[in-house]
Amino acid sequence: MDRGTRDPGGNLMNAVDAPVRESVTKKKEKTATPWNVVVFDDPVNIMEYVARVLMRIFGFSREKAEELMLMVHQNGKAVVWSGGREKAEMYVQELHGSQLHATLEKSS
Amino acid sequence: MTVMPTINGGIKLTPESDKDWAVLKAIAFDAHEELAARLGRLMDEESMWEDIVVPDLKTHFSGQLDHVVKAVNEGKEKDEITIPKEEGELWYGALNQARLGLESKYHFGQEEDIEPDELEEEERQGYLRGRFYCAIQTVLMEYVLEI
Repeated sequence: MDRGTRDPGGNLMNAVDAPVRESVTKKKEKTATPWNVVVFDDPVNIMEYVARVLMRIFGFSREKAEELMLMVHQNGKAVVWSGGREKAEMYVQELHGSQLHATLEKSS
Repeated sequence: MTVMPTINGGIKLTPESDKDWAVLKAIAFDAHEELAARLGRLMDEESMWEDIVVPDLKTHFSGQLDHVVKAVNEGKEKDEITIPKEEGELWYGALNQARLGLESKYHFGQEEDIEPDELEEEERQGYLRGRFYCAIQTVLMEYVLEI
């Protein structure tokens, strides 16, 4: 007798449905983990350009963008944003599109 | 070469010699061939960047270069190149790819550390092209780009 999982409506779920549920749970965990968007310094991108890109992508004020740009330049890298992984990936994609060197790292 | 802002919010490049045209034609040659992949290598495997994002970035970057190559070829016939406001980002991106390519090839590092006369000739030519590209980018940023 099939004693499979039932959905909220009481209907029996077949074997194919079960992994989907697990996948959704994992996805929730994945997106709930805080992630940092990190921008790296490079000798090519003009400082003013970096500040403008940060303003455009993240909506930072000029002051905030310049402060972060200087942190990138002086420290070699800086965390410019923290939050959910999916949104962080979207930001990194935009940074790469603007030819800035950027990645994600788990927030400590 | 003269670089001047136009009243329509763009800039006009007026090359004055074959050497100027040669430098403009070198933009696509100097551009980093694997920029999208190199940026992608900064990401972890979980992101599947190589499969999902890198192909789009490659298309985006090659589109910038294609645009500039076409504009330079067309400009050669008129002895000048006009960069309208709406094309400023394409030019800026192509010039940036060229500078990233030169940096990747020659590892110049920070500009203040470079003494051009001490470089080998090929490297020196690359360094000077990079400065030339940067000068155009600076004008684009001051007069054209809206970001």
